[in-house]
Amino acid sequence: MPETVLKLEGIHKSFGGIHALKDVSFELAEGEVHALLGENGAGKSTLIKILTGVHKMDSGSIQVRGKSVTIEDPVDARHKGIGAIYQELSLVDSLTVAENIFLGHEPTKSFFGSIKKRELLDKAAKYLSSFAIAVDPSAFVGDLGLGQKRIIEIIKALSINANILLLDEPTTGMSRAEIDTLFKIMDDLKKKEVNMIYISHHLDEVFRVCDRATVLRDGQNAGTFDIRSVDLKTLVKSMLGRTLKEEFPVREGTSSEEKLFEVREFRTEKMFAPINFSLRKGEILGITGIIGSGKSELALGLFGADSSVQGDISIGGKAVSLKSPDDAKKHGISFIPEDRKGQGLFLRLNVEHNICVANIDLAITKGVVSNKKKSQLAKDTCEKLRVRPLDIKMAVQNLSGGNQQKVVIGKWLCGEPDILILDEPTRGIDIGAKTEIYSLINYLADRGTGILIMSSEFREMSAICDRILVIRKGEIVGELVGKESSTEQLLTLALGG
Amino acid sequence: MEKNIEKTDRSAFWAKFLKMLKGELGLILILVILMVVFSVISPFFFNSRNLLNITRQVSITLIVAIGMTFVILTGEIDLSVGSSAALVGVATAAVLTATGSIFIAMIAGLAMGIGIGLTNGVLTVYGRVQSFIVTLAMMGIARGVALVWTGGKPISRLPVNFGIMGAGYLGPVPVSTIIAAGVFALAFFVLNKTKHGIYVKSIGANKEAARLSAIPVKKYRVLAFAISGLTSALGGILITSRLLSAQPNAAEGLEMNVIAAVILGGASLSGGVGTVLGTLLGAMVIGVIDNGMNLVGVSSFFQQIVKGVIILVAVLAKRSD
Repeated sequence: MPETVLKLEGIHKSFGGIHALKDVSFELAEGEVHALLGENGAGKSTLIKILTGVHKMDSGSIQVRGKSVTIEDPVDARHKGIGAIYQELSLVDSLTVAENIFLGHEPTKSFFGSIKKRELLDKAAKYLSSFAIAVDPSAFVGDLGLGQKRIIEIIKALSINANILLLDEPTTGMSRAEIDTLFKIMDDLKKKEVNMIYISHHLDEVFRVCDRATVLRDGQNAGTFDIRSVDLKTLVKSMLGRTLKEEFPVREGTSSEEKLFEVREFRTEKMFAPINFSLRKGEILGITGIIGSGKSELALGLFGADSSVQGDISIGGKAVSLKSPDDAKKHGISFIPEDRKGQGLFLRLNVEHNICVANIDLAITKGVVSNKKKSQLAKDTCEKLRVRPLDIKMAVQNLSGGNQQKVVIGKWLCGEPDILILDEPTRGIDIGAKTEIYSLINYLADRGTGILIMSSEFREMSAICDRILVIRKGEIVGELVGKESSTEQLLTLALGG
Repeated sequence: MEKNIEKTDRSAFWAKFLKMLKGELGLILILVILMVVFSVISPFFFNSRNLLNITRQVSITLIVAIGMTFVILTGEIDLSVGSSAALVGVATAAVLTATGSIFIAMIAGLAMGIGIGLTNGVLTVYGRVQSFIVTLAMMGIARGVALVWTGGKPISRLPVNFGIMGAGYLGPVPVSTIIAAGVFALAFFVLNKTKHGIYVKSIGANKEAARLSAIPVKKYRVLAFAISGLTSALGGILITSRLLSAQPNAAEGLEMNVIAAVILGGASLSGGVGTVLGTLLGAMVIGVIDNGMNLVGVSSFFQQIVKGVIILVAVLAKRSD
């Protein structure tokens, strides 16, 4: 039996009377990668925040290598050997790789505390080469890709001798090659006796790199599994508390022949060639491609949010000019952006504000906003989308990722759009919430809404779309019928094989 | 060890104390404490005449601060309000002297204020210069124009009727208090009961999300500056009316009192957070401090220090989280 590195027992935590964690236990054994799984809002983030000293637990105990400890704050957590890599990076773009790695604990000279530049670079180079990473330590972090940044972030955590490493959705936004590199590094780390807690919604990743998995549901333990002897179904069931009938719900209706939205000779600044396509009433049209293929720019352009676009758009056969999102809205177009925190939400404001903001006219009579109607609109939308907790006065920043995404969708849903453009609608949300969003998309399409989904999740695209356009470097390189397409096919087209 | 416990006890007490000062309730508390203190020290403080006098003294700061609240809510700042008020005062007096019509003079003054605000807004939003810089420049320009226009001398001997707004009373209540109350009510309505309010808060909270929520962001940002221009114009007209004379040096430093009132009221300079009720309370706190210290006979040099300290303490208390 390997030594227990970290042991959490009987952890309780509540926020304003609502239990976030109830008697949760967790054990990390020496030399393992341990997955922490659960739906959005199951309590993973709270547990992590307790472990890194962001939140204080109400009761319970934490033991590091058999010794009982209290974690005062994030700095204290680091001193106790607990490092964390979050989805949001903590790197400074305008500093070099080496400076970032040693930020806060630079090797200094005794004279005036000035930094030993040479030593800084040498040490950083040593770290980088120990992971076989080909990055120049004097390069600016702002010039690196996301995958490289995340690896620098890991090295930064290790540079303070972390031997317990928390990885929260580390593969978000990474390319396949970058993910492979990350997993290789994780293997190396295991050999170097760094123990890892791995949080991800991508269960395939969990099966690839983890040894054990602990599942949380509604703030309580729902089981700990040995990855080698568990199957996907069991894990999902344990997460949801029920069997998931199907990840991708089957749509009942079909799209009509009526052309709803036509795009001719359309191009954004990033595109090499103009594109043409049309969207039918009730159709789910996917536009896919790898990250950086120009999908998001296209989505913004179609919503009138990019003034540099050229081309013709017609809706219901009539030519329209979409010079601003306001114009687009007037023509019945709604848009769910990719970056929910940066582009979708007003984080400090409450759920009600976030949902009503784009369709406030629905709550206005004779120029006066009715608070009652506003609350009703927000409440109805939240109920329809099953936002949890159902508290419209709560600040959106306190919701879990999946529920935040539901709020972004709710913002437009309540206006009953004719055309809905979604950019990466299921990024960073759990399998249960994903399925709900797919059902919602089906429901809207059955009602006659034309749906345009931009996504780089090929599996998702071939499962839910009627038709898929593959774009590469801003150019359409293929058109497939959704149900007849395979992930491999899409990937090959997207990469240009 | 014992020392440690004492320390945590004390810090817990401070945390509680500071938390109490947060929000509008805390401001009311500060206001009450100040009033009790001044009532004890000075027999002249707590009577209806002096209290109404405070509302008159506060009215101009409040009116201008309400416009500033709109600007700060969008995440911008307007430093030109004091100079604009002075310039509008001069312009209003000049038009009044030339035409003899209070109505025309006021329309001209208010239009000028809106014009200055629109200029600030357009340069900030479309010219993409930080509002701090734009309005700092406008602060100099407006003051300069007022000085050049008048040759540095006040425009006096305005018709007595013109003084009603700034110095008149309706029964026991100062007319300027009534005007300020009207402006407050209007702003309260706009920010809480119209989509304008929802849009302004959204823009301050996240400009990009606001844009992608189909809010005409640029229009509402410019509009916020226009509103600030309008309220500073009204402030300038009231100052001129009270003195029956337009001073090119009037309202010097007004912007600082106004910004202090808004921030004291709980608004965040980064935008998205703030209420006109908070601004009202913030302005009242500053007004009570000014009035009370005058009655008590604190030297005006010393007053500035006290005011600065009180503002710092109040704002620090709000920030602690």
